[in-house]
Amino acid sequence: MMTYIVFILSVIFVVSFVGFSSKPSPIYGGLVLIVSGGVGCGIIMNFGGSFLGLMVFLIYLGGMLVVFGYTTAMATEQYPEVWVSNTTVMGVFLLGLLMEVMLVLYVLKSEEVGVVFKFSGVGDWAIYDIGDSGVFSEEIMGVAALYSYGAWVVIVTGWSLFVGVLVILEVTRGD
Amino acid sequence: MNPLIFTTILMTVLLGTMIVMMSSHWLMIWIGFEMNLLAIIPILMKKYNPRTMEASTKYFLTQATASMLLMMAIIINLMHSGQWTITKVFNPTASIIMTSALAMKLGLTPFHFWVPEVTQGISLTSGLILLTWQKLAPMSILYQISPSINLNILLTMAVLSILVGGWGGLNQTQLRKIMAYSSIAHMGWMTAVLVYSPTLTMLNMLIYIMMTLTMFMLFIQSSSTTTLSLSHTWNKTPLTTTLILITLLSMGGLPPLSGFMPKWMIIQELTKNSSIILPTLMAIMALLNLYFYMRLTYSTSLTMFPSTNNMKMKWQFETKQITLLPPLIVMSSLLLPLTPMLSILD
Repeated sequence: MMTYIVFILSVIFVVSFVGFSSKPSPIYGGLVLIVSGGVGCGIIMNFGGSFLGLMVFLIYLGGMLVVFGYTTAMATEQYPEVWVSNTTVMGVFLLGLLMEVMLVLYVLKSEEVGVVFKFSGVGDWAIYDIGDSGVFSEEIMGVAALYSYGAWVVIVTGWSLFVGVLVILEVTRGD
Repeated sequence: MNPLIFTTILMTVLLGTMIVMMSSHWLMIWIGFEMNLLAIIPILMKKYNPRTMEASTKYFLTQATASMLLMMAIIINLMHSGQWTITKVFNPTASIIMTSALAMKLGLTPFHFWVPEVTQGISLTSGLILLTWQKLAPMSILYQISPSINLNILLTMAVLSILVGGWGGLNQTQLRKIMAYSSIAHMGWMTAVLVYSPTLTMLNMLIYIMMTLTMFMLFIQSSSTTTLSLSHTWNKTPLTTTLILITLLSMGGLPPLSGFMPKWMIIQELTKNSSIILPTLMAIMALLNLYFYMRLTYSTSLTMFPSTNNMKMKWQFETKQITLLPPLIVMSSLLLPLTPMLSILD
């Protein structure tokens, strides 16, 4: 089972995405977001990125999702929608699950999957560069590179987040 | 809106487009598009009525979908080439998805349905920014990936856009919808020549922006959003009736005005590449555009449209200061003799 752990975790990831895309009430969407965040952390950790996985737990789940949960709890309705309460939501959820199950069977049966592009295992996604980092792991060097070569990215993303807050406040002000 | 916040958000729109135009890393380009989209939403929603909110929501949904498609194309390109630079798209699938995403952002057929509805729901100034500045960023990306674009898809979308832009604008009396359909048609002309000569795309974009800017500013000056209220300009500022006539004829592509320059160059470039039927069809379909511009000039400058008697005796004149209107009018009608300077756009 350990050789297929990334595959299993990614299936759970997709299933939880289907769970919130079928639009139950936001509280339940937040619930499956917690599951998908945790599972995503597991996927990253299996590639050696322990720092990034713990960042997901701390910042994403422990910061952003907590704030989301509190605001949703303030704005929730008396009878929130679950996946089985509404026929539409249940139908979309089951359809997403069915497509995922068919895809999983397709992947398990054949070596190579060719839906939009050919994909034959996780090895396709590994892009090796020629940098020799020696004893340091790649992901911590990536974080270091973010603050040295990628200073412009930090500035741009920081400004985008700041303007995001300004925009949201402006839009919901409703004069 | 608080002036400081408004300035910050407007500068972020500019910054987003600049990031898109100046980056060589696909992720930065995507970030630039998202920053642009995020910051223009409160500009579209300057007045708080349900129409602007609906228009902003429609704009946000379509542009966010286009950004998602662009991200998918970027990742497919990354998978097949292993690098993030923008010079060449190495995979046909990625190229097709990228072209569709950028067509959704520009408002090309078959993704044109949001343009009239969004332009109609927002104020004239916001519509101006939407139809001119927001076209710069996707067009610059199309310019940069133009060697690897699939010609069949792009030409199909271009010709259908010219047809839809001409045909769809025929039944409209609202000026913002007319400008939206005119934008769809002009985008079609621009993308038709993109694979053959990207310089002409840039020329067309430049002249289109000048003409659209002029038209919108003339509308803003008389605060008119329907054909009926535009037909009262003879009473408010009689000079602008002539200027509206000249600018609309320039938009229709009539020589000797500057709107003829891009159409002439595009048809010449297409015939040089041995396609004769295509530019003939495009020129014929541009006549549909010309028809509804002529209808606007007929009701505005060439005849005195029927109105009630008290509309004919205006005694209170408001003066608005419209920035740079005279130079824009001159540039959007008299640039044709400068065609040999086209080479500076290379």
